[in-house]
Amino acid sequence: MLLACSVNKPIPIAESHDTRRVTDEAGKSVSVPAEIERFISLAPNLTEIAFAIGAGDRLVGNTTFCDYPEEAKRVQRVGDTLQPSIERILALRPQVVLVSTSSQLEAFSKQLDEHRIAVYVTDPRDLEGVFRSIENLGKLLNQEQRAEETVSQLRKRATTVTEAVKSTKPSRVFYQLSAEPLYTAGHDSFVTDLIRRAGGVSVTSDVPEAWPRYSQEAAVAARPEAIILPTDGSMGSANSEVAEGLKRSPAALSGKVYRINGDFLSRPGPRAVDGLEALAHALHPEAFNK
Amino acid sequence: MTAKTEATLEHGLKVGGLDDGRVTLRQTLVACSLLLVALLAGILVTSLFGSERLPARASICALASLGQHSCGLTPDQYAILLEIRLPRIFLAAAVGASLAAAGASYQALLRNPLAEPYLLGVSNGAAVGTMIALVFFGTWEWSRPLMAFTGALAATFVVYRLAQGRAGASPERLILAGVIVTTFLSSAIVFVTTLMDATRIRSFTFWLLGDLSGTTTSLLALAIIVAIIGTAVLAANARSLNLLMLGERDAFDLGVEVGRVRLIVFFVASLLVGSSVASSGSVGYVGLVVPHLVRLSLGSDNRIAVPAAALAGALFVVVADTVARTIIAPRELPVGAITALIGAPLFVYLLKRG
Repeated sequence: MLLACSVNKPIPIAESHDTRRVTDEAGKSVSVPAEIERFISLAPNLTEIAFAIGAGDRLVGNTTFCDYPEEAKRVQRVGDTLQPSIERILALRPQVVLVSTSSQLEAFSKQLDEHRIAVYVTDPRDLEGVFRSIENLGKLLNQEQRAEETVSQLRKRATTVTEAVKSTKPSRVFYQLSAEPLYTAGHDSFVTDLIRRAGGVSVTSDVPEAWPRYSQEAAVAARPEAIILPTDGSMGSANSEVAEGLKRSPAALSGKVYRINGDFLSRPGPRAVDGLEALAHALHPEAFNK
Repeated sequence: MTAKTEATLEHGLKVGGLDDGRVTLRQTLVACSLLLVALLAGILVTSLFGSERLPARASICALASLGQHSCGLTPDQYAILLEIRLPRIFLAAAVGASLAAAGASYQALLRNPLAEPYLLGVSNGAAVGTMIALVFFGTWEWSRPLMAFTGALAATFVVYRLAQGRAGASPERLILAGVIVTTFLSSAIVFVTTLMDATRIRSFTFWLLGDLSGTTTSLLALAIIVAIIGTAVLAANARSLNLLMLGERDAFDLGVEVGRVRLIVFFVASLLVGSSVASSGSVGYVGLVVPHLVRLSLGSDNRIAVPAAALAGALFVVVADTVARTIIAPRELPVGAITALIGAPLFVYLLKRG
């Protein structure tokens, strides 16, 4: 019933309020109410940003992947990041829906557009992009000051890390997203940027795509000095072993295989800085023991 | 077999349009030896291609010494050649042989040129079995081939039962039953993958399209042993399969223990499909295209068609996987995409010609 109506009529979104136009990170102009009182997040990193900047109480819907902070689990679920339910979203009457390019919901965004629901797209490709997303969401949700404080704290921590590893020799890192089949972080992944900031260089940084399927042979030939296994967190014990072909890499032979909470490294949100710190401590412990 | 039944068989094969049906043992040996040489040459040549360039002369030297000498290859190059590339090629060969031999036998037993593990739903049965093994017994390695085999066998019997009408199993009924079981199992796969977490979905959907990159030594050994023994058992039943191509009643009249042969073929073919799906996912079209090509060029006597299909299938998948792992190196494509890209047009061509 609701669906049928909404096709013909726009959902009345706070008509008494003034509207304003903002440009999202995909470069699209979006019309939103001056004060956003109800919004939905369709990605765990955006949920984390929303809570970090103090807008979590206005979050009326998120996904089953949104498990941080604890309060996020009590928000109404609209499905998972890959298949959100349009009916549930419409029923929650959001004034804006936040999506991340990393979850590839372009087609779905169009569907929301047709129902006159404002869609705000974020597109963080590196740590600087994460900071920008936090500031942009701060402006969108009228939490500019909290957002700026959050960013300045995160930036300070990130700078501390990069300062500490500045004089170290960059180590050659292989990022193993999954072992069988072998997936890694490519050129477009924001992990590639985190590894660089943590005093490493990803041996797969030139490979196209964000998360390419990778040849075992090429992984052996790359002779990584360190291997990062994103695991734990929401991933459970998955991906806690090195791929067969990498078992005799210099990294594995010298014991430089590091398991880091995958949620820090797969979500371009505030905890990406935790990921950066974990990476730097793993790659260059000597830089932090002074 | 008496002279009378020999004569009846010859007559029968002629009646069935299989006038070039009978072959001598010598013909079989010659054809299979040639295919074996082609397969070994194919393995040697494809082992020189990969995402990493290895010095050709040293590689051949190392392969010729059966891995005893490094022949000047660096330890990494040696590992790439003998521990990553070669096992993968062997796995491709085992999978290709298994699927093609299973396909050839299904076609003979069910008297249906379209019978193929993938189209009959047997591959999907094995895939559902493997998926259940991954979800519930993830840590026990042998659960994968075991559950895949169980799934393949269950799917085979369900399809066969569904296809049995009052007037027996017509080819159309069989394919229809296969389509129904395939789509049902596909939905089951979608259902379970949706319940699995995101990181496992990615590798699983990739694996569904056929993936030869990640296997353990024990699964590889199993795939090779099953491929060889399975093909041998099917080839040993080839004479009965020839008679079954005339129809089950005629075969029975000619002294074939139809029930027993059917059981053996279903069991062994399910074992072949199960072991290849457990180690590499669903590689489509191999069981369809390869036996057809073999029958077109060597005739439809199963005593030659079954072993020849196994060898040709091995070569086909070895070549297809070489394309999959080199064409966008260092990235990779699923081998099932390549076999379908080559197989589907080839099949259309065969249909038009036939």
